[in-house]
Amino acid sequence: MTFLIFNVVGGDPALQLAGKYATPEQVESIRHELGLDQSLFHQYLDFVKQTATLDWGRSWQTQSKISDMILSGIGPSLSLTVPAFLISFFISIMVALFSVSARGALLVWDRAISIFCLALMSISFLVYIISFQYLFAFHFRWFPLNGWDDSLMGRWGYLVLPWMISVVVSLGPNILIFRTAFLDEVIQDYVRTAQAKGVSRMILFGRHILKNAMVPVITIVVLQIPFLITGNLLLEAFFGIPGLGGLLIQAIQNADFPVVKAFTVVGSILYLFFNLVADLLYLVFDPRVELR
Amino acid sequence: MKLFLVLFLSTLLLVSCTSKKEPQGDVVVSVLDSNIPHLDPIHSMNKISSTINGSIFEGLYHYHYLKRPITIEPALASAMPEVSKDGKKYTIQIKKGILFQDDDAFADGKGREVTAKDFIYSWKRLADPKNKALGWWMFDGLIVGLNEWRDQMRNGEATYESEVKGLKALDSHTLEIQLTRESFQFIHFLATPPTMVMAKEVVDKYGKDIVNHPVGTGPFVLEKWVRNSEVVLTKNPTYREVYYPSEGSEVAKKKGFLKSEGRRLPLSDKIIVRIITERQPLWLAFLKGELDHGIIPKDNYDQVFKNNKLKKDVADKGINIHYLPRPDVTFIAFNMEHPVLGKNKNLRKAFAAGLDKEAILATFYNHRGLVAQSPIPPGLKGYDPNYKHPISYDLEAAKKYLAEAGYPEGKDLPVFDYEMSSTSTWSRQYGELLKDLWSQVGINIKLNANTWPQFDKKIKTKKATMFDMAWNADYPDAENFMQLFYSKNISPGSNNFNYVNRTYDELYEKALTLQPGPERYKIFRKMVDIINEDVPGIFVVHRIFRLTYHDWLENYYEYPIIYDHLQYYFVDKEKKAKLIKKL
Repeated sequence: MTFLIFNVVGGDPALQLAGKYATPEQVESIRHELGLDQSLFHQYLDFVKQTATLDWGRSWQTQSKISDMILSGIGPSLSLTVPAFLISFFISIMVALFSVSARGALLVWDRAISIFCLALMSISFLVYIISFQYLFAFHFRWFPLNGWDDSLMGRWGYLVLPWMISVVVSLGPNILIFRTAFLDEVIQDYVRTAQAKGVSRMILFGRHILKNAMVPVITIVVLQIPFLITGNLLLEAFFGIPGLGGLLIQAIQNADFPVVKAFTVVGSILYLFFNLVADLLYLVFDPRVELR
Repeated sequence: MKLFLVLFLSTLLLVSCTSKKEPQGDVVVSVLDSNIPHLDPIHSMNKISSTINGSIFEGLYHYHYLKRPITIEPALASAMPEVSKDGKKYTIQIKKGILFQDDDAFADGKGREVTAKDFIYSWKRLADPKNKALGWWMFDGLIVGLNEWRDQMRNGEATYESEVKGLKALDSHTLEIQLTRESFQFIHFLATPPTMVMAKEVVDKYGKDIVNHPVGTGPFVLEKWVRNSEVVLTKNPTYREVYYPSEGSEVAKKKGFLKSEGRRLPLSDKIIVRIITERQPLWLAFLKGELDHGIIPKDNYDQVFKNNKLKKDVADKGINIHYLPRPDVTFIAFNMEHPVLGKNKNLRKAFAAGLDKEAILATFYNHRGLVAQSPIPPGLKGYDPNYKHPISYDLEAAKKYLAEAGYPEGKDLPVFDYEMSSTSTWSRQYGELLKDLWSQVGINIKLNANTWPQFDKKIKTKKATMFDMAWNADYPDAENFMQLFYSKNISPGSNNFNYVNRTYDELYEKALTLQPGPERYKIFRKMVDIINEDVPGIFVVHRIFRLTYHDWLENYYEYPIIYDHLQYYFVDKEKKAKLIKKL
């Protein structure tokens, strides 16, 4: 699919590389050098070979090694996405547990949290970025507006605001999904039995319900990991973070097939790998699951 | 749990209090609004790459920073070239003692002296088909023997040592160039980044990674390049003695740009070029004083201007405006190979008469520009401010043309596909306005949004029926706009109208052989008359950019074709200390 989309539907990289004063001979010559004049089947075989060896060569546009481009972008991308993901995960679990435990005497809290989450979800990501950047970086001047520091210690100052945005954006859907998973557990017989036996609410929610609700939670969480690695295009663009998201979008804009193919294949491999990890983790949290 | 929370919150607080590091020393913080693909001058065909390449590399000639209209003068050449009577042979002396920047590629890491052979090597690199240089078009067919060498290289029959008849090093510092024809443009080509000098040792050392290791002779060396984030340039310690100019345009004098006269260049120790592709953070960073100059987003004009004048509260903060008339033209092109549009001149005239250019100028450019009457923009010799296009906005005339075209009131007229160059809101709104304007005439168009690669492919393969585009001058000569209609340049070349007219071609070829002067401009005028009569496209606007800068940034006199401008900037630190408190 990747191969067909970019070879049949996309732009013509030879025309792009030839520039605005191109002659038909130059276009043909570039097409020949890039191997674009070969049959689709032959090009597909090259694509398979690159996928098998994970050797993507050089970008047609930047002429840099694609492996170097990915390596230079992966650090900033992970610095941006992983902490935000962990913070969001931790807060979401806490709030979802509180929300579920509040059903009953404190029902109003549960409802308020649900409404708040829906409100958070109804606002566009771009609006969060623009308003947070204006308010916290420009108006209050608490954070730098945009920029990057290569050193591990220097970069954090530039990341706090993007983390905040990322966390706020992900809280709504995460809390609601986790809450649903916990609610499914709360109505189970073992919960009623534990309550009858006088197990404290802290132990009931923290140990029993949380553990048993982990299967759907793991599915959601682990499948987000590949997207953490491939970066966040909008946040990278607005905050000047040199991550993988920006590299990918540039490659798409410039019909830079080798880069797009590399990202797509790496993304697919990561997705498959973390799918497998999620399946294996079920074993840890649910004894009913076994490998066959 | 509590311990974790306390730790987390304190870390967040500590980190958030880390303010952005203030640049120390004589530092200018500049900005680019697009990413730089690579730093090899042979591919440098846009302002973004050229701004960095023009600070690191140098060519034989460059443009005077303060003179307008812009004027070419020697850079690494010691004087203007000696040109033979037939205009085909150029003899150029190169300044002595020019050093390449220090780099590990050289013995002991010290840059060696530039010689005539370095230019020949650099130009062969430009011609080498393996390099797929975007700048090759300049020398294509122009230098005796260079195309043949290129062909031989393609077939493996030549090397860099092989002779090119038209390129000779008469001695270590004298170049002789034999052209195939007289060319007024040639001297301008020698002022563009693709023809700038590179050292063979550096290219050999870095191989394909040369795109990330620029080493030239210019005022700055590359200290750091973080893709999509920033470029840091520091003063080249071995830069030759170059001094700030003592002459300039009236505007330059009025703005006090001559105050730096006689100071040694570059005026700053370091230039940090931030790459910010989104308009909002770029604008806010400028307002906050993190950038020394900036770009006003379309939607923030009211924040800065009232009745087209800078607001007082903005001016009081020390924010200033640089009016930059761009040597460009925006246009709507018709594909002259289209079976209906291409064969019906009256139909194209109906489109032209139905287009309200003033409305476009007001809506999409905030009145920043001039309605175009021809492809030649103001600021270039050959531009005639009194010239008027024979067709102006007139609905009745448009309807009449449409009837004469054989489609009274648009009856039986097909719907034309209109290709937009992007999927942005701007493009869509622009397309919607055109659709609305032409529907009043009786012409209907269908808007197609495209990504740039899709758009480029449709145009270069002649699949687009009509589309909008802009052309920026690559060198300061009206010929750069005239060649857009030359039949030998049809798609995939620059003639995306696919316009073919033998009379026009003959005039163009004649103009190519003439030096600037009345005869040449007279021919250009005839050519403009021909295309305005044939209407292969509609010329819409010559844009004027309004760029903002803080008063503390001295000598900000940006111009699109001048690429070594960063060396003239410096920050008045006392002024900055006072003004930044007002932001």
